[in-house]
Amino acid sequence: MSERVVGRPHPIIDAAEKVSGATIFIDDLELPGALTGVALRSPHPHARVLNVDTSAAERLPGVAVVLSKNNTPDAPFGINHKDEAAFCREKVRYVGDEVAAVAAADEATAREALSLIRVEYEVLPTVADPFAALEPGAPLVHDSVAGNIANEFHIKRGAIDEAFEKADATFADEFHTHLAHQAYIEPTGCAAQWHPDGKISVWGCLQSVFLIRTFMLAPVMGMSADDFRVTQTKPGGAFGGKLDVKAALMAAMLSRAAEKPVKFMMSLEEDLIAMRPRMPVHISLESAWKNDGALAGKRVRIVAENGAYSSLSPAIMSSIALRTDNLYKTPAAEIQGRLVYTNIIPSGQMRGFGNVQATYAWESHLDNVADGLGLDPADLRLKNYTEKGDVSLHGWKIASCAVADATRYVVREMDWKAKRARGGKGRGIGLASCIHVSGNKGFSVELGPDDTDPSSGVVRVDEEGGVEIWSGESDLGQGATSVMAYIASEVMGIPVDRFKVPPTDTGYMPFGMGAFASRITLIGGNAVKLAAEDARRNLLDAAAEAMEIPADELEIVEGEVRAKALPERKMAVGEVVRRVGSVVEGEGKWLAGGDVLDKEKYGNPSTTYSFSTHGAEVEVDMETGVVTVLGVCCGHDPGRVINRLGAEGQVEGGVVQGMSYAMMEGLAPLEGHLRGKNFHDYLIATSMDAPPIEHDFFESMDPYGPYGAKGLAEVAINPITAAICNAVYHATGGARIRTLPVTPERVLEAIEEARI
Amino acid sequence: MSTYEIKFSVNGNDEILAVRGEETLLRALRRVGYVEVKLSCEGGDCGACAVLLDGVAVNACLVFVAQADGCEITTVRGVGTEDDLHPVQEQLIEKGGVQCGFCTPGIVVSAKALLDENPEPTREDIQRGLAGNLCRCTGYKKIFEAVSAAARQMKEGGDS
Repeated sequence: MSERVVGRPHPIIDAAEKVSGATIFIDDLELPGALTGVALRSPHPHARVLNVDTSAAERLPGVAVVLSKNNTPDAPFGINHKDEAAFCREKVRYVGDEVAAVAAADEATAREALSLIRVEYEVLPTVADPFAALEPGAPLVHDSVAGNIANEFHIKRGAIDEAFEKADATFADEFHTHLAHQAYIEPTGCAAQWHPDGKISVWGCLQSVFLIRTFMLAPVMGMSADDFRVTQTKPGGAFGGKLDVKAALMAAMLSRAAEKPVKFMMSLEEDLIAMRPRMPVHISLESAWKNDGALAGKRVRIVAENGAYSSLSPAIMSSIALRTDNLYKTPAAEIQGRLVYTNIIPSGQMRGFGNVQATYAWESHLDNVADGLGLDPADLRLKNYTEKGDVSLHGWKIASCAVADATRYVVREMDWKAKRARGGKGRGIGLASCIHVSGNKGFSVELGPDDTDPSSGVVRVDEEGGVEIWSGESDLGQGATSVMAYIASEVMGIPVDRFKVPPTDTGYMPFGMGAFASRITLIGGNAVKLAAEDARRNLLDAAAEAMEIPADELEIVEGEVRAKALPERKMAVGEVVRRVGSVVEGEGKWLAGGDVLDKEKYGNPSTTYSFSTHGAEVEVDMETGVVTVLGVCCGHDPGRVINRLGAEGQVEGGVVQGMSYAMMEGLAPLEGHLRGKNFHDYLIATSMDAPPIEHDFFESMDPYGPYGAKGLAEVAINPITAAICNAVYHATGGARIRTLPVTPERVLEAIEEARI
Repeated sequence: MSTYEIKFSVNGNDEILAVRGEETLLRALRRVGYVEVKLSCEGGDCGACAVLLDGVAVNACLVFVAQADGCEITTVRGVGTEDDLHPVQEQLIEKGGVQCGFCTPGIVVSAKALLDENPEPTREDIQRGLAGNLCRCTGYKKIFEAVSAAARQMKEGGDS
């Protein structure tokens, strides 16, 4: 590994503007003459909308426009099901559902106008519990969807019945996860500006500027995707939550109707009750084993809470159902999933895309199995892990894998054997592992232009020797575009500090699906690497002419083109560009590998897969049930680290975010009403909660990755919940947390249950 | 609606504002262009709007602007700009203590206030000093490292 840039620690390229407060987030964007947009949201979980009277609001001085079902078309949208409208039509289906929206001269006027809108509701019975929703005769969330079932599947693969018949031992468990928010610190918002030619510019804290046009803006507004120019403002955190941003639609519709620019900023309370938080799920597991600890088969039954509208929920449930089967050599499986509509906030994707929930359940179950078989939990995993070259039960092709190395590291660093032997009396350790995609072909069918999951990059060198990278793949703040800059810097021999990567913009940048499914480093990184190679060739060709030396006798070092044999013959790249008389650029395109899954969900959804193992040491107060995480140790296989500082930051941030989810978060819906409305009742980890974290990387040098790299964002969060729960189990001599979060009450209940 | 005229200085610039009684310092600062002071929870929970009010770190969302009449206010840009970074800012860059950057202006202000009061903080002091600043990206570890390093840098700078 002789790379100059790749693998070393670098600050993210926009760190200086961020620490000095110069970064422009969406709420900081100035649009002269902009109106303020606000939404009227349903106060009821479920009600028929009999009448919406906006006349008094429209008459209020300063109000430009009021939108509702009365003056907007019935054009439903949705990624998997077209089940959501811009404004509620016959019914409201959750507390927070958009009933109307106002654009006015200022916020006070806009809010006053909301209070003047008269909505006549006929309150209907609330369908809050997913199991009640499945009962015959339950009220229907969508009148046309029988049984409230948004999606279901039943897959049998391998000789599953035989696996259970011939097993030496079988185990069964049930787990329940909670509704938790992405809780980025920047509340969501978008701005839009209608232009007299009918086109609309949109700005916002978006994960994908391209996709928001195709699945939401264009179909609802009856326009073509090209009519929108969408520009990303740097998101103040996203974590999955800013993929599906209805604020963009609100701003664009209000702007078109008012023929003026509109800013639509959500308050934190609105964000907590009306975005798309992490899906709650109920998982039943049965597994069959040989006495030596070999997994023979598993049965999984899932009831997943869709909430009021579907968005990406069917895909999330699919991820929950199948993913952990690919981490271990699983000979047979039977999987049933049911996705259920309820009158609760629509659930959605958050970092992990269901894998946090799935990994919590399966990896907790594994420790119960290890206990039952009398095996060490780390040994049980090491015996069954998938390996490089494997094709999993579901068709996943494992191109690189260092999960066993990661686990051995955690075992070594945590002094596992000694601490496991000592366990109990309120002190314990546990670990858990995960597998994750680096991009997912399934999304390209539902969201992309076709089934290829393409990414493109343009690399432009200017006359001052600066380099700008255009990629349709966005940065959510964790340094994805910095990774692109380091890759291009490595390829081109131009110092990192000469690179700029502007936020994504459909107006001039090449297409990219955007930031989700841990796809940017692999897919966007490969596209940019190809573009940088092209730009380097073009620079050398131009320099060859200017310097009268053949291109193959030139190299680029520290931003200068040098003759390899005569280093004193050199020319700065900016000078080369000036000689050419224009910008020198390169282009690259990369198509993700893998398949679109068949109807039975068989196939290889991603080019390659990433892995991690997290270990946690906890102290449990046996009297109060309070759990303290004393330390976390983890190993990750991101293929290859591109930026060590950024990779470490991903891991540390993922671990604390996961710990926060596991131990303190929850929107706690009660009959459809959410409790968490601000950061004093929706608690997230503070500096006081952050445990010491030790970690390292195990580089499997992926054959498809740029310099061997694959995704890291989601393997950084997936296993920590189970690691903590397994440590609690060890500390308490068998208290198993079957419902999240790990509150003192639940720990005490589990301790009591373990005593019986 | 009645308005009051108040005066204060922000990062050394004198400002005269017509304000309404219920307007918060956060809303007023953003209204006149100090958008580096971030608006998030408006309930004193997240710390993204932290500023120094006569040298004391406060959440600008919990202060009525009228209360700041005659005060000196320092925002993150008063602590340091790209061309003239404070050690806390330099070390946040170097140690990787910044990701999305939304909480960072508040972190910088709180860390400066902490180091002004306690030039040699322990890890626990730093944890406490930043307890009012939520960060969702970093897991805090690199922020702690940055503040420690900034303290060392300031001490060395002072000795020289």
